[in-house]
Amino acid sequence: MKKCLLCGQDFIPATSFLRIFSFKKFHEQCLCQHCLAKFAPISREHCEICYGKAAANERCLDCLEWQKIYGHNLLRNHAIYRYNDAFHEIMVNYKRYGDYVLREVLQELCFEQLKKIKVDFYVPIPTSLEHIAKRQFDTVAAIYSQLVPLSFFLAKKEGQGAQGERTRSERLESKQSFLVKEGIKADVNKHSVLLLDDIYTTGRTLYYARDALQTAFPQAKISSFTICR
Amino acid sequence: MENSSCLAGRQWISSQEDFSTNEVLTKISAIQQSHCMRCGARVYAKLPNGKFYCRDCIELGRIVEGDLLVRNLELAEFSRMKNGGLTWHGSLTKRQSAVSCELVKNFNQRADTLVHAVTGAGKTEMLFAAIAECIAQGKRSCIATPRIDVVNELYPRFKAAFNTIKIGKYHGKEHHEPRLDQLTICTTHQLMKFYHAFDLLVIDEVDSFPYVENTQLHFAAKNAVKEDGVRIYLTATPTNDLLEKVKEKQLKILRLNRRFHGGLLPVPRALFFYRPFLLKQKINPRLLKEINAVIKSGHQLLLFVPRIEQIPIYVSALKNDAQFSSVIVEGVHAMDKNRLAKVENFRQGKSQLLVTTTILERGVTFKHVWVIVVQADDEIYTSASLVQIAGRVGRAKDDPDGLVLFCYRKYTQNIRNALKQIREMNK
Repeated sequence: MKKCLLCGQDFIPATSFLRIFSFKKFHEQCLCQHCLAKFAPISREHCEICYGKAAANERCLDCLEWQKIYGHNLLRNHAIYRYNDAFHEIMVNYKRYGDYVLREVLQELCFEQLKKIKVDFYVPIPTSLEHIAKRQFDTVAAIYSQLVPLSFFLAKKEGQGAQGERTRSERLESKQSFLVKEGIKADVNKHSVLLLDDIYTTGRTLYYARDALQTAFPQAKISSFTICR
Repeated sequence: MENSSCLAGRQWISSQEDFSTNEVLTKISAIQQSHCMRCGARVYAKLPNGKFYCRDCIELGRIVEGDLLVRNLELAEFSRMKNGGLTWHGSLTKRQSAVSCELVKNFNQRADTLVHAVTGAGKTEMLFAAIAECIAQGKRSCIATPRIDVVNELYPRFKAAFNTIKIGKYHGKEHHEPRLDQLTICTTHQLMKFYHAFDLLVIDEVDSFPYVENTQLHFAAKNAVKEDGVRIYLTATPTNDLLEKVKEKQLKILRLNRRFHGGLLPVPRALFFYRPFLLKQKINPRLLKEINAVIKSGHQLLLFVPRIEQIPIYVSALKNDAQFSSVIVEGVHAMDKNRLAKVENFRQGKSQLLVTTTILERGVTFKHVWVIVVQADDEIYTSASLVQIAGRVGRAKDDPDGLVLFCYRKYTQNIRNALKQIREMNK
């Protein structure tokens, strides 16, 4: 019997013979099936570039806009869930109220898909120090640091405010707020990099992060991963 | 804190760096012996720095080990008002006024009371006298209930009944902090912002609190009233912990087992089904027959199903059935954007059949409605919610009876208890 981290009710985690007899460590389930069912996985029909809303093999409205700015140099993003009320609620609790434990739920939602993507460097989108001080943890790194080895290549300029508090047009008009840390010893050029974030909303954040990395390492192959799109 | 008097009876969190001193403020550690001092929950979650924090009341601002809970013990003063500002001129039935008088008496004797009144007994009106007595003595009172819907429904009724009193209305969707009001109406959640604030605290629909948070409710209710304050619990289906307190003589009990129109509660009929209620998107023919019988009798029907996902299946199955071609069927659930409009349509008789979940189990009145509960054996239906659902029927003076049908495939303890409670109240 376990307690679901979202609804607080007891549930029996699903199990299998493989789990019982295997020596391999499995991720421990932390939310019940009723709560899990509230999240909407992205269907097969999605934008070929960023998993946004679009018919199969077509591009979403966001990507069409990015095409005007970046031409063929678009950022390929992998996402798992559509943004809905359940996701909104968990993000409010995790980010606004600072319920650190919910990282386990977010990990459970994404670890299987993330495992399938093999790259050389996993780079989390940085949070401003001011927010870290307030919450006492880094929201993005807290999710992914227990799943993959992280490389903290990026830093955030101070005093820029959070994207989450802005409207759509304000987000798009925001300025580059990332910089690549100095003194990175790893040979990033010619290697693959996966940017990690929680939500892809307009893509503004991830594109700026990509731009910063690309300027520093022009030959790196950069794509991104978010739990929600 | 400037002008702290508007914060009389309040509590709030403050980080450890706060060294301000003020004689009316007391400070305690917010987490003591791994329990949260604001909501009473056991604290188990940790931040990366190893400090514990409370998850159960996190929406009110995260409490972390080392934080302080500041309590303002100042006494709020209100002017005394003749007849307590009561401007209500309706009349109570004999049974109602007996309960009403007892409540005033118990308030003056500082005794906590449990009012066990059947659904549709007119509980709100019975409270007026006790609240007026409290206001007349220049004291502070509060009505708290678990559901936002109920807060929104109670507020205009009290505003009309006490139209010279400023009433504070607070819940999570109001987005402002409580002020100093002589009468407060709020969700039970908001009670955690108060400490020793009220002389009279009424908790309406105690049983609708999800069982998980029950301890939180009692903890907050205990903290929110003054040491010599009085609590009144209102319910149609008392929970065991309250009945236990009655037995231990910590609570007085007042029963009102007749509705305001004097009629008995309709006793539900329990009906056994051998086959599943839904099979390949089709409704069990026996269930269809029962539904048809209600429609033919000319009554509106509330069809309760256990899960939101089942609503569209039932709605489309009913719409596609030839015998219901002339019937307007709608489905409504908690997340429905048109929820209020659909319920209003049903109330006005624009639709005859409403498929719904437990969101409509309480606090709503439809005049001539009959009820069928599909899968009454589902774990989602506690005996309290079954009693509440049955209580939707027969609420009009000219139509005090009606059909309540519990359809089950396994006779559960909850169905048995619900039927038992209703029969007992009818004795």
